[in-house]
Order: sequence, then structure tokens, then C-alpha cells
Amino acid sequence: MKKLLTVFLITGTLASAGGAVFYAGAAAGEDDKRMNRRDARTIVRDFRPVMNAEYQNECGACHMAYPPGLLPARSWERIMGGLADHFGDNAELAPETEAAIKAYLLANAAERADSRRAAKFLASIAANQTPIRITETRYFVRKHDEIPERMVTGNPQVKSFANCVTCHRNAEKGVFDDDDVRIPGYERAHF
Amino acid sequence: MKKILLITAALASAPGFAAHPVVEELMTEYGAGGTAVFSAEQGRALWNQENRNGDEVRTCASCHTADLRKEGRHASTGRAIGPLAPSADQERLTQRAEIEKWFGRNCKWTFGRTCTPEEKGHFLAFIQSQ
Amino acid sequence: MTNEVKVWDLFVRVFHWSLVGAFAVAWFSEDVERLHVLAGYTVAGLVVSRIVWGFTGSRHARFSDFVPTPGEFIDYMKAMLRGRPPHYTGHNPAGGAMIIALLASLLFTALSGIATYGSEGKGPLTDLMFSLGDGAGAAIEDVHEFFANLTVLLVALHVAGVIAGSVLHRENLIRAMFTGRKRNH
Repeated sequence: MKKLLTVFLITGTLASAGGAVFYAGAAAGEDDKRMNRRDARTIVRDFRPVMNAEYQNECGACHMAYPPGLLPARSWERIMGGLADHFGDNAELAPETEAAIKAYLLANAAERADSRRAAKFLASIAANQTPIRITETRYFVRKHDEIPERMVTGNPQVKSFANCVTCHRNAEKGVFDDDDVRIPGYERAHF
Repeated sequence: MKKILLITAALASAPGFAAHPVVEELMTEYGAGGTAVFSAEQGRALWNQENRNGDEVRTCASCHTADLRKEGRHASTGRAIGPLAPSADQERLTQRAEIEKWFGRNCKWTFGRTCTPEEKGHFLAFIQSQ
Repeated sequence: MTNEVKVWDLFVRVFHWSLVGAFAVAWFSEDVERLHVLAGYTVAGLVVSRIVWGFTGSRHARFSDFVPTPGEFIDYMKAMLRGRPPHYTGHNPAGGAMIIALLASLLFTALSGIATYGSEGKGPLTDLMFSLGDGAGAAIEDVHEFFANLTVLLVALHVAGVIAGSVLHRENLIRAMFTGRKRNH
């Protein structure tokens, strides 16, 4: 039994040290510098999953909470400046919520996303343009040019290119791999 | 006080879930303008009222469907919208800020204007009964 | 050579050196995600199988053989400070405590690593980490780095202990981890 005490003492000490590190980290989690350090470490292929709760709740209610890396900062700036008429919807927010979401979008926009996919979106947008529709960026158009309209806008199960996750099944995790694509009603087709 | 009792009685007799205190609070506020008891039936009529926006016909059901216990879909993006009925999702109608926010947004989309307190009261009574 | 005896069974030896390799790969492949994750899972698998072997393995592989009581550990440390620690055929109490510390630290490193992986949208803990939010993802990555660094520190102490033990008792403990044989007294 006393041997067990040794095991508990050792593992318990380690576990509490780990817990302390976790809580210290969680407490500092809002610190921008830390997040930037984390972001700067690796470049991801697609996008980091969106884990901003306010963005998910407010924007994600009506459409997928698009990874901010899909558009440059100037586009998010323009979108957030016109929420009263947001593609025909009223999407007004409480001022502090709006500021917080805007800060998140700008901090993770295509220029700062450390994502190869975001870099491609960014490169396909002319410097003098400020698109507010992801579907109008050249990269998006090029990547979807082999998808006939009847499969998306003419498909009652899909309806719109805006709803990425209908076909890109891992889109909510930031993953837009071709292999994950299943178009409802056209399950047997490959892309 | 009497008014609150009336509202509580109306809600208790409805077939849906017990109303969250927030709903009773809001109904009292909406009722301050005159209408004491809100009716689920009038709420249903408003829910299905068709409004023209250019060539498009918009109703609450455009996104939420006519059956509030079912999942809806955003009319333009196709995004799934969870059931609105408290009997299907107990989180519904429990947060004042959420209720007010969506009345604000969705009345503007559906009717092209903000809703009156009276309309909002009828809506609450209707949604709560589902 | 005459009074040498088999102490470390084949599983323990293969486990030991595989763990050295897998941990080294994981440590140095920090920025090569696929390799790092593969090495990490290997470490986790090795540690879990070693824990099982700690209950089912041969005599000196069992926890019951080498985990010291707190009293034994303290007595041994005192004897070591006086420069005259007693000789053990299997693990001495300090070595035994170190095995527990290393296994625990490695296990925590692997678990926090899988959680960090989950916070990046991959692996079995993805849904859990998503439910916890972005702050938890960054914090768990700190925990992962903490335990990885702690493991390296423990490895250094472990190696120092092995060298000290080899010198004090005039036996090659590193060779013993290859051959499995140690002096018998």
C-alpha cells in the first residue's frame, strides 16, 4: 500500500503542475501576443478552425462562420461596416459585440492567417478590389468552375454556395480538402 | 399584478413547455401599451402572414418552416436553423438579449420594419405554445 | 561474468530503446506535424504497454518489484548523499521512483499532445477541444510543452543516476539495458 502512495505522490505532483500550467495559460489566453506566437509557429494547409464563440454565435447562426482567412482585412472591414444591410438581411449587433468580432476577423484575415489556402485566396484578389463575397474571388471561382449550377443553386438540398458545409463536410473544422466533398443528391460523383 | 396573473394563466394553459421567467417579464413589458393578454392564435396568423419584398414572398416560415418543432433553413444561405419551439429545444426563449436581437433582425427582414410590442407579445405566446 | 544474472527481460529492453527513439523523434520533429504525431502516438502506445507489463511482466519488470515506499526512497537518498548507497539487482528506490515519474510525465505529454492536436481540428479529441474553445487550445499546448520539457529534465536526471550508479557500483548499467544481465549481489 505504501508503494501506491509513492505512485500517487509522483503522479499527483506532476498532474497538479500540469493543471497549474493549464490555468495560467487559460488565464492568459486572451493575450494577443500569446495567440500571435501560437499562430506564427506553423502554417496550416487550409484554415485554423474558428473557435471564437461570439463570431460563431452571432454570424454562425445564419451562415457558416467562415474562416477569416478567406478574405483580406479590407473586405472584413467593409462587411462589418454594413451590417444593417448584410446581403439583404439585417445583421446589426450590439456595439461591443460588433467590435469584438471585427477585431477577431481582422486579426485572422487572409494576410495574417498563416494558411496556404488563405494565401491563394489573397493572391487571387486584385489589390484595388475589396470583395465582400467569398464566391466572387477568382480563386473560389476557379476551384468551383467544374461544378454545374444544377448541383448547387439548382439543388434544393444545397441551394447556395454560401453553405460550404453542405458539401465540404469538414468545413466547420477549417478543412476544405477535395476528398471530403459530397454533394447531396450527387453522392456518387467525384471531385 | 392582475395582468401578470392573467399572462401566467394563459401560458400555463398552453400545451407547450412552462415558460421561462424571461418570457413572462417581456410579455408584461410588451403589454404595458394596452393589450393585456396575448394570443397564440394571433401570433400564428402573424407567423404565416405573407409579405412581399420585390418578387419575393417572405414569411417567418420562409426560414423556420410552418412547424416550429422542425429544423428550418436560412432562406438565402441554406444554413440549418435549429427548431424554435421550446418543446423541441429547451434553450429557446430563455435569454432576453437573444429574443430581442432576433425580433430586431427578423422583423426587418420579414416585414421590412420593426415589430410593435403587441406583435412581439403575440409571437411570444405563439412560440411558447409550440 | 560468473555471478551475472538475467534482470531485464526482452520486452523491457526493446521497450526502453524504442521509447528513447520515439521520444527523440517526437522531440526533434516538433514542426513536422505528421512525423511528430506518429512519434507521439508511438510513445503513448509504448507507455501504455509498459504499464500493462508492469503488472504482468517478469519479476524485475513489475511495479511491485521496484516501486519504493516513500520511506525506502528517503532512506536510499540519504545513503546516496553519504556516498554509500546499497546495491540492488533490479531498480534501486531512486531509479524505481524515476520510472514512475518518467512514465507519468510521458503519459501527460502524450495526452496533452492529443488534446493540442484536437484543438487544431484533428484527432480523437477534436470535439472535446472544440467544446472548450480557443483559450483551452492554447493553454493545453502550454501544458504539452511543459511536460515535454519536464520529460527531458527527468531523462537528464535518469541518465545522471545511471552514470552515478555505474561508477559507484563499478558495473556498466547501460550495457545491462542491452544484454539484460546484471551483477548478482
